[in-house]
This record gives sequence, C-alpha cells and structure tokens, in this order.
Amino acid sequence: MTDFNAERRQTMLRVDNLTHRVSLETDTLTILQGVSLEINRGESVAIVGRSGSGKTTLLGLLAGLDTPSDGTVELDGSVISKLTEDERAKLRARRVGFVFQSFQLLPALTARENVMLPLELAGMESPEARARELLERVGLGERLNHTPRQLSGGEQQRVAIARAFASDPVILFADEPTGNLDNRTGQSVSDLLMELNREQGTTLVMVTHDEHLAARCGRQFHIEAGILTEPEAARELAD
Amino acid sequence: MAAASKLMSVRRDWRERDVRVVLAALIIAVATVATIALFASQLQRTLVSSASSFLAADRQLEAENGREIPGEWLTEAQSRGLETGRMVEFSTMVFGSGGFQLVSVKAVSDEYPLRGEIEVQDAADAPRKLVGSGPKPGEVWINPRLLRLLELNIGDSLEVGNLNLRVSGLLIREPDGGFRLSSLAPRIMIHADDVPSTGVIQEGSRVEYVYLFAGDDGALEGYYQWLQSRLEPSHEWEGVRDGETFSRSLERAESFLLLGGSLAVLLAAVAVAVASRQYALSQRDTVALLKTLGVRSRGIGKLYLRRLALWGLTGIVGGLLVALPLFWLLTRLLSNVLERPVEFYLDPAALAPALLTALVSLFAFAYPPIRRLRDVPAMRVLRSQPGEGGREALPDFAIAIIAVFGLVWLYAGELSLVAALLGGLVLLLGALGLLGWLLVATLRRVRGGGNAWRLALVGLYRHRRASLSQMAVFAMTLMLAATLVLVRSSLLDDWQAQLPPDAPNHFLINIAPDAVEEVSAFWQERGQPLNQQYPMVRGRLTELNGRPVKEAVSKDERVGALNRELNLTWMSTLPTDNEIIQGQWFDPGQTEGVSVEAELAERLGLSLGDRLTFTIGSEKVTESITSIRTVQWDSMRPNFYMAFPPEGGLTDMPATWITSFYLPTDKKTALNDFSRQFPTISVLEIDHIIDRIQQIVRQVTQAIEAILALILAAALVVMAAVVSATLRDRQREGALLRTLGGRQSLLVRSTMLEFALLGGFAGVLGVVAAEAAVWALQFRMFEGNFSWHWQVVLPVPLISAVVLALFGRWQLSPVLSVSPMLLLRRLE
Ligand SMILES: Nc1ncnc2c1ncn2[C@@H]1O[C@H](COP(=O)(O)OP(=O)(O)OP(=O)(O)O)[C@@H](O)[C@H]1O
Ligand SMILES: [Mg+2]
Repeated sequence: MTDFNAERRQTMLRVDNLTHRVSLETDTLTILQGVSLEINRGESVAIVGRSGSGKTTLLGLLAGLDTPSDGTVELDGSVISKLTEDERAKLRARRVGFVFQSFQLLPALTARENVMLPLELAGMESPEARARELLERVGLGERLNHTPRQLSGGEQQRVAIARAFASDPVILFADEPTGNLDNRTGQSVSDLLMELNREQGTTLVMVTHDEHLAARCGRQFHIEAGILTEPEAARELAD
Repeated sequence: MAAASKLMSVRRDWRERDVRVVLAALIIAVATVATIALFASQLQRTLVSSASSFLAADRQLEAENGREIPGEWLTEAQSRGLETGRMVEFSTMVFGSGGFQLVSVKAVSDEYPLRGEIEVQDAADAPRKLVGSGPKPGEVWINPRLLRLLELNIGDSLEVGNLNLRVSGLLIREPDGGFRLSSLAPRIMIHADDVPSTGVIQEGSRVEYVYLFAGDDGALEGYYQWLQSRLEPSHEWEGVRDGETFSRSLERAESFLLLGGSLAVLLAAVAVAVASRQYALSQRDTVALLKTLGVRSRGIGKLYLRRLALWGLTGIVGGLLVALPLFWLLTRLLSNVLERPVEFYLDPAALAPALLTALVSLFAFAYPPIRRLRDVPAMRVLRSQPGEGGREALPDFAIAIIAVFGLVWLYAGELSLVAALLGGLVLLLGALGLLGWLLVATLRRVRGGGNAWRLALVGLYRHRRASLSQMAVFAMTLMLAATLVLVRSSLLDDWQAQLPPDAPNHFLINIAPDAVEEVSAFWQERGQPLNQQYPMVRGRLTELNGRPVKEAVSKDERVGALNRELNLTWMSTLPTDNEIIQGQWFDPGQTEGVSVEAELAERLGLSLGDRLTFTIGSEKVTESITSIRTVQWDSMRPNFYMAFPPEGGLTDMPATWITSFYLPTDKKTALNDFSRQFPTISVLEIDHIIDRIQQIVRQVTQAIEAILALILAAALVVMAAVVSATLRDRQREGALLRTLGGRQSLLVRSTMLEFALLGGFAGVLGVVAAEAAVWALQFRMFEGNFSWHWQVVLPVPLISAVVLALFGRWQLSPVLSVSPMLLLRRLE
C-alpha cells in the first residue's frame, strides 16, 4: 500500500489529554483521566490493566466508536471529535479493522459472507475473491460456506481476523482477542494476528490480559483506574 | 433445584421480551375474539329487535279467514310468559267535512306495539315524535293526506261506520307498516275496543285479525310447538326471519361477523405462534444450562408447562379486561347509531370462543416449540449445535393448522368458510415456496456494495429463511385482512345496489286497463316516470297435476302462498332482475305455459312440465310450467310468483294494473291531485319502509366497519410483533455494520428497502390469496358475482410495502441512536 503522505504523517494515532466521564444517577464517574499517547505507523501496542480499569472504554474512544468528554483523538490525520457520525463511519470503513473478544460474527451469514461484509460496505467490486483469499490465509479455505454456529470458537475468531484485515485497514483494534479461547487456540490465533499484522504493515492496538501476547507487541501501556502509563518510557525517563 | 426454579421464576419471565410478545398476542387474541363475539351477539339481538319492530312483535299470527282465534290460544301464550297484543285490519269508507274516502283501518289493542314505536305528529306543523301505544278509545289517528282529502283539522271528528271519532293525531309511521296488498287505501288507526261499535265488521266482511307475541326465544318456540297442530291453513305464523325483505340482509351481516371472528382467531393464532417460537429459541441456552445443573427433561417439561398455563391465565384475564371496555364502547356507538339506548348485554356464551381460542392457540401453537425444549442437548452450553430450528417445525405446523381450522369451523359452523380460507392459505404457501426458490435462484447472484438496493437484495437473500417466514406471516395477515375488506365491500355494494336512493317507494294498484295510459301521462308530466306496469289477476293455486293442491303438497310444506290469493300476471319480456334457471322464457306469440318463481317451485316440489290449475273467480285455468325463474324480492318492484305469456291463459280474466315508482318526499303533495283525479286507484306508500331498510343497512354497515377496524388493528399488531421478533438480531447487525463503517443513511435506506420488498411481495401474495378465498366464499356464502377488485389489489401491496418500510425504520432507530461501543461491551 503506497501512501504519499506517509512522511508527513508518521504518527498514526495521537491522543491528547483524553478524559471520559459518564453521568450516573447521583454523580458522574470518571473512567479515563488525562490520557495522552502517540502511536506511530506500523507499531504494535498492547494495553494491559485490571478488569474495570477502563481498557475497553479507551479502545472505543481511540477507534472513534464514541466521542470523549474532553481532549482529542487524532486518527490517521483526522480529529475524531470533529467528524460527524457518518464521516467517522467512512473513516472506519476505509482504515480501521476490529477484532472483538466475543467474535461478533453475524449468525445468519456464512464465514465468507461475514468477511465480505466490510468489503461491500466499502463499495468494493468482486469482494468474493478477496474473502476467499483471506479465509484461505487464516486456514479456513474449506469452511467458506459454514455459518458461525458450525465453527469452533477459535475458528470463529479466525474468521473475525480475516474480516478485520479484509478492507486493508491501516490500523487494527483488538479487544482481548484471545480472551474467550483456550491457551493453545489463543496462541494460534494471536500468532495469526501478529503475522498478518506484520505482512500488511498494519498498526495494531490491542487490549489483553495475556502477558505473553502483550510481550510480543512493540510497546506496552498500563492502565489503572483510568490513568495510562507506559512503564518502559517511564524507565527511560528515569534513566 | 431451588436455584433452577429461581431461574425459571415467573417474575424473571415477565422481563423477557418474547414473553411479553406472547402475552400481548394472547391478550389481543382473547380481546378481539371476545369483543367480536360479544358484539356479534349484541348486534344480532339488536338487529332482531330492530327487525322485530317490523312486526311490532317477535312473532305474528295472522288469521285471514275473517275469524278471531280461540281465546284459549292467547291465554296459553300468556301462561307461557309471552306478551300478547291484537290488531284488526279492514277497509271502509270514512266521512269527514270534505267528503268521503276509502281508508284502510288498523284497530289496535292497548299493548300494541310490543316491539318498536309509532311515529306521530300532534299537528301538521308539530314535530314528529315516537310513542309506545296507539290512540285511546274514541280517538283516531289519520294519514296526513286525509287532512286535505277530507278537509279535516286536528280535533275534528271523523265518521267511521256508526261511530264518530275525534282526530287526535297524524299517523306518520307504524312500526309494522308492512308491505301488504290488502292495505291499499290511506291508513287510519283506532283503538280495537271501538271496532264493535262502528258496526263495520259483519259476517263475510274482509277482515284480517293479527295477533302479536313477544318474549324470549325459548318461550316463543315452545308456544309455536304447542300451536302448530292447532293452526288452520288460513293461519299464518310469521317470525322476523321469515320476512323476505330483511332476512337476507340479516343473514349476510351474521355471516360477515362470523367471518370476521374466524379471521380474528386465525390472526391471533399466528401471533401466538410467531412469538412463542421466538421465545422457545431464546430459551435454549437457559434449558441447556438447567440440564447441566442436573434438571431432567421431565422436570423441564413440567416447568414450561406450568409457565404456559400461567400465560394462558394472564392472556384470558388481560384479554377480557381489554375486551369489556371495548365492547362497552361499541355498544355505546351502536346506541348512538340507532339513536336509542341499547341494553348492555353480556352473553356468557359469547365468551366461550375467546377462551377456546386462547387455549387452542397456546396448546397448538405455543406448546410444540416449547415442548421441544426438553430435547435441547446440555452440550449446547459449551457450543451451540448446528442445524437447530426449522425442519422439525413441520409436523407442529400441520397440527396447528388442523387445530386452528377446527376452531374456525367450530366457531363459524361453516365448512365452506373453512375450506375457502384453507384453500387460500394453501395457495399462498405454494406461491411462497415458489417465491423462496426464485429468491434463492436470482438473488444469490446479486453482490452487495455501497448501493442501498444491492445491500437490500443481499440482505433478503442472506436472511432468506427469516425473510420467507416473515413474508409468510405478513402475507397471511394481509390475506385475512384483505378477505375481510373485500367481503365487506361486496356486501355493501350489494346492499346499495338493492336499494339505490331512487328505489321505487310508491306502488299504484288497481289501475283500470283503460286508465293505464292516463296514469302514466300524469306522472310523466310531473317528472316522475313510472316503472313498467303489469296486469294483475288474483287467483288461487288449487290443483297440481290434476290433484287438489292441499293433498299434493305435504302439510309441513304448506306455504303461505297457498293460503292466500296469488297475484298472477302476464308479460312478454322477462324483467331485467329476474333470471331463468330452468326451461325457457316465452317465445313471442306463445300462448301456453306459465313461469314459476324458483323458491316457491322448490318448496312445492314443482318441476318443468307440471300442470298447475288456478281458480280465478269462478273460472279455472290450467297451464304447464315452461320455466322457473328467480325474483329479486327486495327490489321494491312488483314481483310475481306466476307469470303467463301475453296471449296466454289469463287474457280473458278481469285484470287491474300495478306499477311502482320513485316519488321524493317534497313532491308527495302530488298524490293528493292524483287521488282526486283517479279516485279508484290505490296508492301504497312504502317510503317509510324503505327509509327504515336503508337505516338498518347503514347501522349494519357501521357495525361491520367498526369490527373491520378492530381486526385491521389486530393485523397491524401481529405484523409489528413479527417485525420486532427479529429486533435483537437486527440491532446487533446494525451496530456491527456501523462499526465496520456502514453509513447511517445507507443502513436506513437498505433496511427500508429490504422491508419494502418484503412488504410488497407479501402484499401481492396476500391479495391474490384473498381474491381466491373471496371467490370461493362468494360462491357459497354471499351472493354476487366475482370480479377482480382492483381498488384493493393495487393499493394493498403498495400500502404494505410502505407500512413495512416504516416498521423497518422504526425498528432501526434504536440501532442508530445507540453507540457502536455496545459491540465492545458484548451487545446482548
Ligand atoms: N456507560 C457506562 N456507564 C457506567 N459505567 C461505565 C460505562 N462504561 C464503562 N463504565 C465503567 O467504567 C469502568 C471501565 O470499564 P471498561 O469496560 O473500560 O473496563 P475494562 O478495563 O475493559 O474491564 P475488563 O477487563 O473487565 O473488560 C468500569 O468500572 C465500568 O463499569
Ligand atoms: Mg473490557
């Protein structure tokens, strides 16, 4: 993929002083507080933290699924909070891929149709060949016409990964992609994810509990009670 | 087990969306069926009592032999709890200050009328009012025309035979102002006690005694059983249902209500089936979980059965709570329409079909998919099983269809109705199968894209199973609703056609042959041309194939027509509304033969070639039957049981002529000039009867419309239930599509298109099936000729497309307003 703006936009994701609050019945709850980070093109980043620390919330904001209460998120050159809902959708269709913990395949569609979905939404002609190619790549060439019900959890997640890479995204968000899988299956799924990521030169932002998986990413962030820290960077600063 | 029971607890159950849909469906089912049944029974009572007022009673006994019936007959009726009343009718000359006039006298007892009311005026310019009894002894009420004819004023005295009676009111309308040829002259009404002192009635005078009876059906029936063996041929027992003019309208209104009720049953069953199937599918995970916790299949079966019973109870109670106020409202509406209070009548028997509907739709529709829950494998907890749902539903479906049609049969008691609906449904399912195949064959080639159309088509293909089953429900619902609309419009058209606003409302009787031309010219000049004039000869049918007719025809089939003189006529051309069903109409110049009305022929067992002998005065005429024809009795034109050819058997008989014509109210004064110019011709005014019939038709029409609206509302709810059954899937899909980058507008357009296509197809199928059902129904239940109803065929698919597109849009709105963040949070 050639991008003539690549030089100018080395930074893929820039987050500045991001704060997110939700109002509850009695008071407001601050889920994220003063989060700032920069991720470069092609990097792979893991976000780790305890349950309830705000990982999913952060990921959603980074991907433009939601808008923050305060601060800015700049994704591939666009400030997300300045975009309309439809513009954000367009951005997602062209540049963003997702892998969810609970797979989120449509039960009525076959594996191939599930992979074709983002291609069709992006208005791509002949999405079928591309879907087949990707499913073969994730090792499901024989299961093209099976519905999610007929697939195991690991297989479903592989379909979801094929779907995530289908539209050639520049950035991929994954929320605990192996969280619902056993160790070995999780291992093979994360292998696949990292491989494809490298092949396609995609930027990867991943939330995980899995220490091993986190260790395979270029950088790691910790989040606790809504506050983000980058341990290595902290160490570098201390040095 | 305690934890498991808690999982199965009813309170938790209420919060389930699908349970709420099942309950809503049940409540609607019970409410619709109960309301219709209650209202139908109320309407029937009201109509019968409305119609009863045509007799001024529930039953009449006429004695045409000029003798009163034995007093014992009346005491017997009274001892059986019946109300009785008495009238005497005869013709006589009356004298006023301005001259004399032949009038028809009706003398009534205190009790008259037992049903209905008399409309009177205190003076020519006073308002009309309704009163519940006739004139007091010593008083007389007169037809307003007599004021001028006899130069009378209110308060003057009128000489009736030997008696002077004071004119105390103007008689506008009698409830039983029936269409009787004996009542030719202007009417006056007096008290029955005054009759003897007039001295008018003597041995041999032509008098008709009429006795009135009213009471509940059982008592009337019992009395008739008692009376039957005592009746002589000159006695005629008349009930509402026998009145030719109204019975047809009533029968058809009843048929319509039954049809409406049956369709409500079907709709309800469909709604319950859809919702409970959805519920069963959603319960599979819970059941699998319960099984892993060690609950056995039997235990699960029991738990769900208990739940089902509870639903049934809730549905029935809730349905009745909805039905009763609704019924009360309809009753109010009815009494507004009728402009008189209608007694709120709760017929317990009318509730039975509603309860039965709830139970049958629960056990035939809701139970099977829920029963199959017992077979859900525990393995499901770990991984959902492929190939679930769908195929094994077929036997369930068959059972359900049989159950519900059994119900309709029980309810409507019309096998032909069930057959017609079933036929329409089979046709519909066949067409759906074909459509499904076509859908798969053609749409699989369509590829999606950024284009809403293609996305919609792809959507239809991908959800083909769900789409087809939704389409089946929509098409069925539309078919049922369209059937009802079609039947309604053909019913109303028929009625309207029978009694157009300019239907003849006056008869001229007793026109001398040499006055025919003059009479015709008189009305022509006044812009009210006469319908065709017919000669009329009065005679009795006395012999059938040479045997006296009373022997030839068995006693049960003795028909009123045999007891009185028949009106015989001759004519060269068949009246346009008559139809030959056997034999041939007379050729020009034919001199032999007679044409017999079809119903009479059937009742007397007459067939072509039978020889009929008529006694006319002292002469006898014998002719063979050459044709049998149907007659429109309610056309308000002169109709004849027996018609001869112009140069045939009647030619030399003394005839007078009869005709009918339309005279608007504001030209009625012309009747005075007419009576003066042609004093021997009798004018029979039936405009009040026609008004009454038209009023009844309007009432029935409105009631039918109210019920139609109810059923259409039920249909809409069924459709909404079906659409929202897929709500969860669609919400998930919408959120995913948006996350994957689908624009809102694209989502909106493609969903609306998908639903519009669904609605359009369902509309076409439904309408075609409805036409088929109506065609079949019209064959048996409702008379009338079948033709395509373009005014329904064209708009229904369009409307259903639009309505469904809007449903789709409405269903989508939560998806649009919700942040796609939900997906990360595992949208449930
Ligand atoms: N819309 C909301 N309303 C109220 N509270 C919210 C909302 N969204 C998130 N939270 C709360 O914010 C906190 C962070 O939630 P989040 O889902 O981001 O955690 P997480 O780190 O992803 O946890 P896990 O590892 O369990 O998935 C939680 O305490 C959650 O309950
Ligand atoms: Mg999370």
